[in-house]
Amino acid sequence: MKTQTYFLNLGPQHPSTHGVFRVILELDGEVVVKATPVPGYLHRGVEKLAEARTYTQVIPYTDRMDYLANMLMNWGYVEAVEKLLGVEVPERAQYIRVIVGELSRIASHLIAVGSYAADIGGLTGFLYTFRDRERIVDLFEMLTGSRMTVSYFRIGGVADDLPEGFIPLLQKFLADLPGLCDEYDGLITGNEIFQARTKFVGVIPPEKAINYSLSGPNLRASGVNFDLRKNRPYGVYDRLDFEVPLGKNGDCFDRFVCRIKEMRQSGRIIQQALKNLPEGPIQAKVPKVIRPPAGEAYTEIESSKGIFGCYIVSDGSNKPYRVHFRRPSFINLGCLAELCVGWKVADVIAILGSLDIVLGEVDC
Amino acid sequence: MLAQKVTVQYPDEKIELPDRFHGRFELDADKCIACMLCANACPNKVIQMERAKVGKKQYLTKYVMRIEYCMFCGLCVEACNQDALHFSKVFNMNQYFRQKVRLILVDRPVPQEEEAGEAADVKRPATEGTAGAKREVAAGRSAAKEGES
Repeated sequence: MKTQTYFLNLGPQHPSTHGVFRVILELDGEVVVKATPVPGYLHRGVEKLAEARTYTQVIPYTDRMDYLANMLMNWGYVEAVEKLLGVEVPERAQYIRVIVGELSRIASHLIAVGSYAADIGGLTGFLYTFRDRERIVDLFEMLTGSRMTVSYFRIGGVADDLPEGFIPLLQKFLADLPGLCDEYDGLITGNEIFQARTKFVGVIPPEKAINYSLSGPNLRASGVNFDLRKNRPYGVYDRLDFEVPLGKNGDCFDRFVCRIKEMRQSGRIIQQALKNLPEGPIQAKVPKVIRPPAGEAYTEIESSKGIFGCYIVSDGSNKPYRVHFRRPSFINLGCLAELCVGWKVADVIAILGSLDIVLGEVDC
Repeated sequence: MLAQKVTVQYPDEKIELPDRFHGRFELDADKCIACMLCANACPNKVIQMERAKVGKKQYLTKYVMRIEYCMFCGLCVEACNQDALHFSKVFNMNQYFRQKVRLILVDRPVPQEEEAGEAADVKRPATEGTAGAKREVAAGRSAAKEGES
């Protein structure tokens, strides 16, 4: 029987697209023939805005890219400016950066895990992860005064020292974290329906993952062992002991499980950083008006979504001449069109959710 | 299922906010020397300032924050080296009209004492008293606004 394909517009206002993101699906019955992603609904022109701001004033804008892992966004930008300036960041600031950065990673993965459970149809998982993420957000509020848009990093250090009462609360959270991860594993990962919906769905083979330049948990779920914290350590990561969790099949299930495993490892990293936290200054000696010498710098960090890169060109003035951000969410999204073909509409939601995109970062 | 509740009944119960909370701004006008450091630190040019020269010092006459453009990043508070600008714990800043959103922290005339000359030490406490009264009025006005919202 001859059938005609038709178009289904998924988004831009759709809870499963995790923001304002549109996918035009060409369907044959319920099967996807072609998927065309349309990003850009949240474009604010952060890179252009940065050109009219001083180096320090760009920091609040980086918060608003991946607003679920804002500390890591701060870090990526600040690192590039420090490379331009040639500033050495004090020990204590380095360790505080690791602590808050990994906390951010846990918070981001908690959202990824919870919202993925909700995408598949189990809203309970969503509520559990949000309950626990709240504790991280409260810690950030205590530390920086803001819950999500923290603007905590400064060029050459961090804005403020850890407040009184921060470390006991953090230690309590870290002590609970493995138990919480077990809870998610029991509630979501072990669920039969969840496994049936996600196992062997949207498989990305390792070669394809590399060709699409995937990074972060999406890449590691395909079995490629690449983590910048291990392969090209920045900050004090070379002094910390942790494992890089890998997946086998590169399907939606592996990508999901990888994130829960990473949370456990992040907990371990924070514990070590807390143990080794030295005393001392939290801010390097940086001139009040930051004027890096003319030149360019590119740095990369491992954000929760993958490799977050920042490229800055300086013309010697107090404002960057050009800033470019390599946003992992946007690049990870590249494989979506190919990944969706041949799957049913419900699986498109499962595949999109498993890539864990944040639209603030995709559109920048 | 029998675990403790993690939510509170908001308008009746409130969670205590940390000391560093980024709420509405407060300006200690006596400490402010109108140096413009905060205005220049702001990424979005939120802070608008008017000042006049009284004697040898700068005198702040008007301090307006276009709070609708504010990102609450705290760079202005960090820039202040007179410890004049602070965050408060007030987060309820929503208004029904856009014009009312703007945060006027200081709006006062130039003190008249410069006409009397700097030697008039006797008069000074009196003028200071009136300035203080004006500030009280301004504080009352903002308190009334709070009540409205």
